[in-house]
Amino acid sequence: MVKPLSIKNLVKNFGGLTATDDISFDLEEGQSTGLIGPNGAGKTTIFSQIMGEYRQTSGIIELYGSDISKLSTPARIRLGISRTYQVPRPFSDFSVLENIRVGLMPDSIWKMITQGPNREREIELALSVGFSEDDLQQTPDTLSMGDLRKLEMARTMATNPKIMLLDEVFAGLTVGEINQIAKLIQNMRKENMTFLIVSHDLKALEPLVDDAIAINYGKIIAQGAFSEVISDSAVRTSYLGTE
Amino acid sequence: MLEILIQGLLLSGLYALIAVGFTLIFSVGRVLNLAYGSYIMIAGYVYFYFSQLLGLPPIVGLLLAGILGSCMGLLKYNLIVKPLKGDHIPVEISTLILAVILQSAIILYFGNSAKILLPIFQGVIHIGNATVTYNVLAATLVSWLILIVLFVFIRKTHVGRAMQAVSMDSKGASISGVNINKINMFTWGISGFLGAIAGVFFASYTQLSPSMWVAPLIIAIAIVIVGGIGSIIGTLVVAHIIGFMEIISVALISPQLRGVFTMLLVIIVLIIRPKGLFGREEL
Amino acid sequence: MGLGLKWYHFALWIGFIIFMLLMPEMVSKGTLRTIIFANFLAIFAISWDILSGRTGYISFGHPFLIGIGAYTTAILTKRFDVGVEYAIPLAIAMTMIGGTIMFLPALRIKGSYFALVSLAFMELMYQLVQVIRPDLTGGTRGMSGLVTLTRGAVNGYYLSFTIMIIVALSMWLLMRTRLGTALSAIALNEESVKGSGLSPTKLKLFAFMTSAFVAGLGGAFYVHYLGSIAPRALFDINFVFTIIVATLIGGASTIVGPMFGAFFLTFLLEYLRPYLPGAERYLIYGVIALLLYMYQPKGLYQIMINQFNRFKKDEDDG
Ligand SMILES: Nc1ncnc2c1ncn2[C@@H]1O[C@H](COP(=O)(O)OP(=O)(O)O)[C@@H](O)[C@H]1O
Ligand SMILES: [Mg+2]
Repeated sequence: MVKPLSIKNLVKNFGGLTATDDISFDLEEGQSTGLIGPNGAGKTTIFSQIMGEYRQTSGIIELYGSDISKLSTPARIRLGISRTYQVPRPFSDFSVLENIRVGLMPDSIWKMITQGPNREREIELALSVGFSEDDLQQTPDTLSMGDLRKLEMARTMATNPKIMLLDEVFAGLTVGEINQIAKLIQNMRKENMTFLIVSHDLKALEPLVDDAIAINYGKIIAQGAFSEVISDSAVRTSYLGTE
Repeated sequence: MLEILIQGLLLSGLYALIAVGFTLIFSVGRVLNLAYGSYIMIAGYVYFYFSQLLGLPPIVGLLLAGILGSCMGLLKYNLIVKPLKGDHIPVEISTLILAVILQSAIILYFGNSAKILLPIFQGVIHIGNATVTYNVLAATLVSWLILIVLFVFIRKTHVGRAMQAVSMDSKGASISGVNINKINMFTWGISGFLGAIAGVFFASYTQLSPSMWVAPLIIAIAIVIVGGIGSIIGTLVVAHIIGFMEIISVALISPQLRGVFTMLLVIIVLIIRPKGLFGREEL
Repeated sequence: MGLGLKWYHFALWIGFIIFMLLMPEMVSKGTLRTIIFANFLAIFAISWDILSGRTGYISFGHPFLIGIGAYTTAILTKRFDVGVEYAIPLAIAMTMIGGTIMFLPALRIKGSYFALVSLAFMELMYQLVQVIRPDLTGGTRGMSGLVTLTRGAVNGYYLSFTIMIIVALSMWLLMRTRLGTALSAIALNEESVKGSGLSPTKLKLFAFMTSAFVAGLGGAFYVHYLGSIAPRALFDINFVFTIIVATLIGGASTIVGPMFGAFFLTFLLEYLRPYLPGAERYLIYGVIALLLYMYQPKGLYQIMINQFNRFKKDEDDG
């Protein structure tokens, strides 16, 4: 069976610092995997390499069996992989709907001109992440952190991904907002979405993932079922060591 | 050969003097003051008014020009940069508009025609077969003096080190208790003063006209871009690269190509090394 | 295509066009000549708006593009006796090549740095046309005695207005499509455009080429209206200033804003003439531009929209 995402011997150096140190793992179709580790472990850097925002120093990233290392970020997104950011990055002057509109656009100038926006789909996406009808014309400066994460999810979902990478999805959210996002993820899991989720909130993460990968100092220190990984002694010390 | 060397040194000294005030603002405030050329133009006219029309001693005219430049800098900072919260592009557009306003103000008062500024220092000196006016020599010496004083000031004094801190990391500096606003005011004041002094020398080097702010602004931009954000040494070195490039192309290739190489250098450096040749983010 | 057009859009455009077509009946020849300049300024401002107003890549060197269009057709018609029907399209094509050259630095740099490179492009062009082949370009003095397309103010007016209105309408429609949204998104957050699966490179190239197309069109027709070309007036920072101020006063990133900004500026100057004969006019105009820009950076367009909304609200309430 060809894997949705397969990472082999990934290395990333920033000057003298090795942020990703020979990391290899696969994601399984329709499975959800947690990526955990203390601050600065290298989780975001792995995402950035998968998306092509950073070029890896060495190693291979395969999407459905083909090497995507040479592709640009938009090209990778068109192949069905998409991410959210630790710090949401909305378009500041655009309304919620317009933000989603950008995610829905095809990367073809001709189609952008000749085909109008798909308003029903925009509204459907906005409502599905938990916005109300009243929120649709709001601009990001009036939205809460929770709303900004929802908007980020909606814009990411708009690119129609088969694999989603979520970075610190629960950071800065209220309990109610955490539940909302968790429910959204559960719904997408039922529809066979493949997830790789970074979160510090292990309790919130647990019900959302099948497996987990723990990293520290850019290296994998434990891998397997979520409950086994978090009870691993190396993982426990890595967390205790920094927090 | 000697001639090229001497002319190159003199022109470069003048260019360094023109650019240094611009560099200060760019490194401390992180904005480009496109009305910087106006200090130069207005200072020329102020000097013209006081020392040539009213007949005050040259040094008084020079100082008055400097003080006025300082005031303009402070006004600009308080009325334009602060309300726009230092947003780069809006500040650049506003200062560009301001430059044109000042140009028309000058036309209004002094008329559109060019004026000849008498040299601040009379007389010439012969070095080999090169003739050097005292005036240009003085500009170069003043330029060196100012650069040295500034260099020492920034490294050795409390205020200077605070400026350095702001230029490297304004958030960090403000956390550690530096009053960013005061430092910015101070920098704008100094920059205006230096721009004005440069202006008087530049005007006596070329001539006085309401549109004379464009050329020195472009030189200052070129030097700062090629030198990189705010390094004084970078400013000095690049002023010499550009000064010598111009003198050499005038002497050996064609006087008309004078500015072409400078512009090519700017474009190439910006594309290849956007942070400039000496692109450290400190003074 | 989802342009979101309402009845009042049609009404306003048609009303404006009819009003402008009747203009020669209403005003003197002198005023008409002023409006011709406003038409050309509107074209240049729209060109600037497509690039800088939309995508945030501020061009301080737009005359670089306008100049390529103007010089190409001037040289072709004057030195090689090419007919304008070939020279103008060629001039536009050359300008689009120029637009591509200006686009190259935008692959790597943005913000202030890009703005300065564009200024350097203009200065470079200014120096080059004077030095390289002055037998073709006319050197420092430029060229005169070029073919003119129209005779008399009225014909000149109709031609310039026709070009201007076609440019304005088509660009206005184009920017109402999703493409306009995507180009605006570049100004807001280029990284997020990438993260939404769109290639900013492709979008930027399109913006540069379209802006160059309009600049080249305007530049070429402008020389054939003036019948002459002078490098000092063309590659001038005051010209840049006029284009940018027209756009900003009208309202950047709106297409109709720059068009009205150009008319507003030209008429402001014209209106002030009897009271302020000389340089005072530019002084006042600069001060108005600066204040307006600092306190309403979205321009007259936004002020009008606000008024319109208030009016609509009053109507709904009443
Ligand atoms: N652009 C960069 N340049 C230099 N070092 C970086 C860069 N990005 C991340 N790092 C370093 O790489 C390490 C991993 O960072 P990151 O992937 O953000 O960690 P995490 O997301 O797990 O908290 C950290 O030590 C960080 O300082
Ligand atoms: Mg992280």
